[in-house]
Amino acid sequence: MSSSLVIIDKAPYGHENALSGIYIAIASLDRGMDSDVLLMGDGVYAAQKNQLADETLVYPSVSELIYPIFPHGTLFVHLDSLTQRGMKYEDLVEIAELIDGKTLYELSKSKKHIIKI
Amino acid sequence: MRIKDTNNRKSSQGKVMVIVLSDGPYISQYADIGYNMAQKALDLGYGVKIFLYMDGVHIPQKDQNPRTLPNISQSFEELIEKGCEIKACIRCAAARGYLDESQFLEGVEITSVYDLAEWMDENSKVVMLGS
Repeated sequence: MSSSLVIIDKAPYGHENALSGIYIAIASLDRGMDSDVLLMGDGVYAAQKNQLADETLVYPSVSELIYPIFPHGTLFVHLDSLTQRGMKYEDLVEIAELIDGKTLYELSKSKKHIIKI
Repeated sequence: MRIKDTNNRKSSQGKVMVIVLSDGPYISQYADIGYNMAQKALDLGYGVKIFLYMDGVHIPQKDQNPRTLPNISQSFEELIEKGCEIKACIRCAAARGYLDESQFLEGVEITSVYDLAEWMDENSKVVMLGS
């Protein structure tokens, strides 16, 4: 079975990238691939819970859109990126899992395809 | 009539490079970089597939006239002739007004992101280019 890691490092509503990265992960999981999403840099904002984008921006709420990757895929949030932005684990959607630098290294080594979007 | 070199699709090594382009032409150099990578890989006998995502769907638009810059759609026409498979994301294309393939170079197919997922197999390597 092939595997992929989709890395999102852009904020969810300033760019189309977060939305598009999630679609790649969902499609990969639907095709039976071992696929996970990693949020780092400004991408960590995509995992913030209680987003109101669909009501206020008329844009799909990225934090809602990300749920279908669970349970077959994992939503990783880079711990250092989160801390640097003054955010806490409690601010994130329930499916988020924190990942440190060392584990991130092991994760990326284990994946066949890395999609940085 | 364009004749595709389909022999390139099944390379002797059986390895395929999948290039995902997410920037439009001219705004950045990524389309040119993707073209150069694809050209070289095809010359070396590898299979090459290109998936156009987000603003990347603008790349194969017909009748481009960039005047002072290299015409990227002509470059991509060369890749198609050499057997490179090119697909564009339907969600991205529809959002940008491409409702069918008539505005694209012959040989470019509008399809879903599920096709990209299917290209990401054990014999391929994905290179994502975009800002």
